Amino acid sequence: MKILLVEDDLDLGNGIRVALLDQGMEVIWVRRVDDAERALESGASDLVLLDLGLPDGDGMSLLARLRRRRRALPVLILSARDALGERLRGLDSGADDYLVKPFALAELLSRVRALARRSYGLEDEAIEVRGLSLHEPTRRVRVHGAPVELSRSEFELLSHLLKRADRVVTRRVLEEQVLPGGPGNDSNALDVHVSNLRRKIGEGYIRTVRGIGYVIDQAAPMDGR
Amino acid sequence: MRRWVRPTLLRRLLLAQALVLALLWSLAVGLFLAEASGDNLYEAQSAHLAVIAVAQNLADQPARQYDTLRAFDLALREGYGDKNEPGLAPGILVRQAGRLVYKSDNVPAELRNTRLDSSETMVAQGRRWRFVTRQSAISDTRVTLVMPGGGWQLWLTFSSRGYYLLPLMISIPFLLLPAWISIRLALRPWRQVAGEIAARGPRDLTPLSFKPRHEELRPLVESINALMQRLRASTAREQSFIADAAHELRTPVAAMRINVEALQAQRGLDPRQGELLAGIVRGSDRAERLVGQLLQLMRSNAETSPPPVELLALDLLVQERLAALSGLAHARNVELELSAEAGVSISGERESLMSMLDNLIDNATKYSPIGGTVMVGLRRDAGHAILTVADRGRGIAPALRSRVFDRFFRAPDQTQTGSGLGLAIVRSVIEKHGGRIELGDHGDGGPGLLVTVRLPLATEK
Repeated sequence: MKILLVEDDLDLGNGIRVALLDQGMEVIWVRRVDDAERALESGASDLVLLDLGLPDGDGMSLLARLRRRRRALPVLILSARDALGERLRGLDSGADDYLVKPFALAELLSRVRALARRSYGLEDEAIEVRGLSLHEPTRRVRVHGAPVELSRSEFELLSHLLKRADRVVTRRVLEEQVLPGGPGNDSNALDVHVSNLRRKIGEGYIRTVRGIGYVIDQAAPMDGR
Repeated sequence: MRRWVRPTLLRRLLLAQALVLALLWSLAVGLFLAEASGDNLYEAQSAHLAVIAVAQNLADQPARQYDTLRAFDLALREGYGDKNEPGLAPGILVRQAGRLVYKSDNVPAELRNTRLDSSETMVAQGRRWRFVTRQSAISDTRVTLVMPGGGWQLWLTFSSRGYYLLPLMISIPFLLLPAWISIRLALRPWRQVAGEIAARGPRDLTPLSFKPRHEELRPLVESINALMQRLRASTAREQSFIADAAHELRTPVAAMRINVEALQAQRGLDPRQGELLAGIVRGSDRAERLVGQLLQLMRSNAETSPPPVELLALDLLVQERLAALSGLAHARNVELELSAEAGVSISGERESLMSMLDNLIDNATKYSPIGGTVMVGLRRDAGHAILTVADRGRGIAPALRSRVFDRFFRAPDQTQTGSGLGLAIVRSVIEKHGGRIELGDHGDGGPGLLVTVRLPLATEK
């Protein structure tokens, strides 16, 4: 994968570059807006990591120009500005994701891969966690190879949780996404769906965080809770 | 007692008024006395001439002469003397052909002038006397008018005319009472300004709402407003500087972290190197958190252009933050649990409330024992939303509970890492939303800390 890194800070830029190289990616590193423009015109990048605080121009205007020309190129913004307003502005202006500095390398890699998957249509591949596999286009679910039949709501629920593996999804969000009528007065409807799902795929996947939501952990639970 | 000793404007004004009154009064008295003493029997010749006339014309009738002179003498004494003090009365000595014809009772006979028509003094009978002798133009009749010593004369005049001056003296204290009342009333606008300033909270630097109509107060109120304006600007600059500095720190910290993590991901490291690198990552983690909290704190303190206040579903916000933080809690083997009433709405700033929740949950998680649970509760109670965060850790000693909200305060036996800003941020946000926070023990007497936050519910439109 070819990544265009637009970052003016020497140490940060080099650190990211080496880290990505170690992961087997190709990196073109530029430190100025006009160099970035040229790199975009000439080369074929698969993804852009864009720092907003550049010395010779605004990252946001580069983003706007980029969006006018190449609509499909994934862009991940790296910025020190963490205010909600700033994040929303970045996403509304056409960025696909927004990472606040400082960030963990693991997080950067995970988001880069997610963006790459999306842009390559690699969402064609099934999501796999500990033997549970879900293929979205065909709506096929398997547990250790054995197919499982799920209702529409159960499938939505499982798909949602698997796509956000390791992150707790709130009851509210699940109710909005999964229940046909949206969140309503019946707070039990969601729990009923979850328990039905657990019966079908097995108890060890979905973890309850009481009062808050549900999560599917990538790693197996330690004490079988 | 102390209060009465300190100077007050009121007393100053009162004193000034009393002094002016006293001055005017003294002036009046002085003028009066001067005028009265001008009316001095002693200096005028009229008394002398009258007595001379009497003595001359009745020289050939000694008995009648004596009676008339006596009557005159008594009249003099009554008119110019004090009934109760015969010693203060004037007296006369009448001599014809060198022989004493009449002498007043109270006057010694040996008084003699050495010269005519001039005032002389002599000591006789243990007292001082002043006297003037005049002689008739047509005979050898001489009349000496005698006044007892100088000082008494003033008193004489004073007391005989006293009924004019006494009311004046008595009325002065009674004049001061209305003066005090009127001055107090007049100073009311002054007290209003002072009252408004005294009622100000520590962070309230907005201009005074009281607009003075009076000339003297206007410059005062204007200078106070100008001072507040300068203070506001200076505070804003300071906070903006801190925020900028914190912001600038983010890139170098990010650089450190990425480089170390890239190193960690490489193969061929021995365990000790791995350990050292992990130490660097942790250090940069702490720096990161401190920067984040500094910015949160500056934002929650900032007065300039406050972010919009919106109607928020607190129950959903709490759920959201707990979900976001449960990953970290799970990694530390701590469970998060929420028990919330639905539909708890407050009006406030989303971002700062998120900071508050994050800091409270993070603290509870940090201090929870491994395998423990952090219980978060949210309910409504009489117009307020009550948020509770309970952990079963070491708790906070009652003596330290008020101090933990201070910036950078760390308890003496602190083992956990932290910036010391978390609770300062929490308090700042709560204050901004008009709420209260309490640190307490669990109802069942067990270990740990129970944090209770009260926030006013959004009012129905």
